[in-house]
Amino acid sequence: MISEWISRFRFFLRRDLLARRRTSELDEELQFHVEQATAANMAQGMTPEEARRNALIEFGGVEQARERCQEQEPGWWIDTLLQDVRYALRGFRRSKAFAVSAVLTLALAIGATTAVFSVVDPILFRALPYANPGQLVSVGFTHSLEQEEFLTGKFYEHWLANQRPFAAMASQGTMSHPCDLVENHPAELECLTFQAAMLQLLGISPVLGRSFLPEEDQPHGPPVVMISYALWQGHYGGDRQIIGQEINIDGKLVQVVGVLPQGFQFPTLEPADVVQPMALDAAVQNTVNGGFGDAMRTFARLKPGVSVAEAQAEMQPIFKAEMAWLPAVMWDLTRLNVRPLRAREVGDAGRVAWILLGAVAAVLLIACSNVAGLMAARGAARQRELAVRAALGASRWRLARQGLTEALLLALAGAVVGLVLAEGLLRMFVALAPAGVPFLSKAHLDGRIAAVTVVLALVCGVVFGLTTALHQPDGLVVNARSTLSRRHVRLRRALVMGQIAASVVLLAGAALLLRSFQRIEDQRLGFTTHGVMTAQIALPGFRYNTDAKWMEFHLQVEQAVRRLPGVTAVAFSDSVPPGGWHGGTRFSDITVQGRPRPAPGEGGTLVTRRVTPEYFRALDIPVIRGRGFTDEDRTADAPLVVLNRLAAAELFSGEDPVGKRIQPFGTHADQWITVAGVADDAKNSGLTSDEQPEIYFLQRAVADDWTSRHAVLVVASALPEATVAG
Amino acid sequence: MPTSTELLQGTLDLLILQTLATRSMHGWGVAQRIQQVSKDVLQIGQGSLYPALHRLEYKGWIRSDWGNSENNRRAKFYSLTRAGKKRLETELEDWDRLSAAVGLVLGRIPEASS
Repeated sequence: MISEWISRFRFFLRRDLLARRRTSELDEELQFHVEQATAANMAQGMTPEEARRNALIEFGGVEQARERCQEQEPGWWIDTLLQDVRYALRGFRRSKAFAVSAVLTLALAIGATTAVFSVVDPILFRALPYANPGQLVSVGFTHSLEQEEFLTGKFYEHWLANQRPFAAMASQGTMSHPCDLVENHPAELECLTFQAAMLQLLGISPVLGRSFLPEEDQPHGPPVVMISYALWQGHYGGDRQIIGQEINIDGKLVQVVGVLPQGFQFPTLEPADVVQPMALDAAVQNTVNGGFGDAMRTFARLKPGVSVAEAQAEMQPIFKAEMAWLPAVMWDLTRLNVRPLRAREVGDAGRVAWILLGAVAAVLLIACSNVAGLMAARGAARQRELAVRAALGASRWRLARQGLTEALLLALAGAVVGLVLAEGLLRMFVALAPAGVPFLSKAHLDGRIAAVTVVLALVCGVVFGLTTALHQPDGLVVNARSTLSRRHVRLRRALVMGQIAASVVLLAGAALLLRSFQRIEDQRLGFTTHGVMTAQIALPGFRYNTDAKWMEFHLQVEQAVRRLPGVTAVAFSDSVPPGGWHGGTRFSDITVQGRPRPAPGEGGTLVTRRVTPEYFRALDIPVIRGRGFTDEDRTADAPLVVLNRLAAAELFSGEDPVGKRIQPFGTHADQWITVAGVADDAKNSGLTSDEQPEIYFLQRAVADDWTSRHAVLVVASALPEATVAG
Repeated sequence: MPTSTELLQGTLDLLILQTLATRSMHGWGVAQRIQQVSKDVLQIGQGSLYPALHRLEYKGWIRSDWGNSENNRRAKFYSLTRAGKKRLETELEDWDRLSAAVGLVLGRIPEASS
């Protein structure tokens, strides 16, 4: 197939015909020269035979002369290259097993390398898709319950007025929230707010329309939104008329003023479809949330020449002054943080990415040395052939080039097969990857990655091409049966040792990974997952806009599910173990009745969960002391908690906590919550960490207990899952 | 006796261009002419001559036509092109400069002008 392509190519260039004519003309020309020389010799008195013989001797090698003339032609090397390629292909056809195994080995390595590189490239190497991304930082406070920087309105306004290290700052709402597109084709979307200055800060222009105007980013400003590229393409079919149109978000008409560019990534990496202006009201920010204002995520651009550390140092006095506004309890807990936006977006994934890259590099090395070994074996088997070619006048360079051509051909074939493989592997990886791998949607095989592959293939080619080319026979070994030179042996030994070393590293890594995985699988969860189903119901927020309506709906669902046959327990919770999002508080925020208030910052954090009574039964978490919650508790006035074993031990240090009372931070001074019982520990902060202290708050049938918009339905059933789900 | 291999690469080109400057010639003729004019000092072997002729032709400085030789055999005649003439001029200038310079260094030419 390839050789057919080559001959077509040659026909296309008409090189064949031309070349043949040239060769015959050259022959004639050289022939003429010899005849003239013969004639000259005869004129000197030689016999015709003698004259011709002398002329030929004088002339030297006709074949060399012809070759040297042909070499003068521009593009002559293409011919020899094609010749080399044809020769190589013929060789591969003769030893199919060698060619196929070499190409497959390379394809595997290049495929794996490319797939992994595609995943880690945006994490490790690709610049963030903003203008001068190196200057962008995430700024704000952090504390033990929130490790990502945040600010609240009051502080933000103060920073804006007093900061010096930043050229610009802009904020966005803390979290995207579900919102509804109300029309003939309704859709549930994610909405986010940001300030008009945000796009300018990031150096991003809308792909269509415009950004928010300052007057739109005011309290009671005109209702406008920007939409994501995906929503524009997917829902509106890329209609350019969308600009200026009014759409209905959560029952309110808003005008679309701009479309965000394709692949735009919010600095918090949230997947929002609709952006509304944040419309910060400085006056309001000084009153809501205890006078601190709403929480927000703030990003800034460093002034040229200012480093992250300098910015942090310059903000420190402002931060110190602001601490005076906070209760002393908070002083030790709250930290000022300025960190590169890249660090915030990539998070912990960077380390994992390097490990992946290292593993796959080892695979590539093994494959390369494998193929080099194959080539060396083949080279040894071909020494006779090479010796014959050398004897016929092929230069050492010519033979080395032949070896290189073969290697490069193999490498390129490996790269092509490998790219196909990489696409498959990448899809598999994206499908299997755990949550929390950043930029996964941006992982695709693009030109850059294809280029990396081709370069990898070429480097491989040159490396193992050279290993064979370098130990080509020096002398003639036509008769020799075996001529393993010492250098050859040493080279092979090095290759084998390299392979073994890399394999051991990989195997050890893989074994450790498997072992850890097995341990995670085998560990005691502390709760049952068998026969338990969880579900979340997406409700249009603008219709279920009060806590009461929200509660009403969920209580109805609970009743309906309870009536289903086979269902043994039904509960609601704001989160479920073992990992993922859950509420949290600090030991220092919990006062035990009859004991002094704990010192601020003391004791670490606890998991909090708000659950309905059957939660413990549904997940089969044993209550080891006192009692769990009952249905009667739900309608009673008094709030109740259940502690897990760790929390009970920590708070009551060995005493029996049942019947004792506690007061979490933020509740009224005269309101105390009774401890109903103690539940056994269950995995509650991921499968890889130890259990944490936990407090279960009873979710009563009063609107005040339903303020969170997280509601997970937990259903335990004797029937197979599919039956219940149906 | 110096052989062609001892000639500087560019010198052979110059000799060929100069030889072809007056009239078109076949390869044999060029070699004979150079040998004759140099009083047998320069003998151009075919191993250098023909590659050089082909190289100059590919560069467009000379062109070739098939014609009949003095003994009525078909032969390839080379002649200077317009570009070749220009090339010859610059090469001659270069040569003059170079040989003068080498002469100066070797002290073979009295510095008459100074």
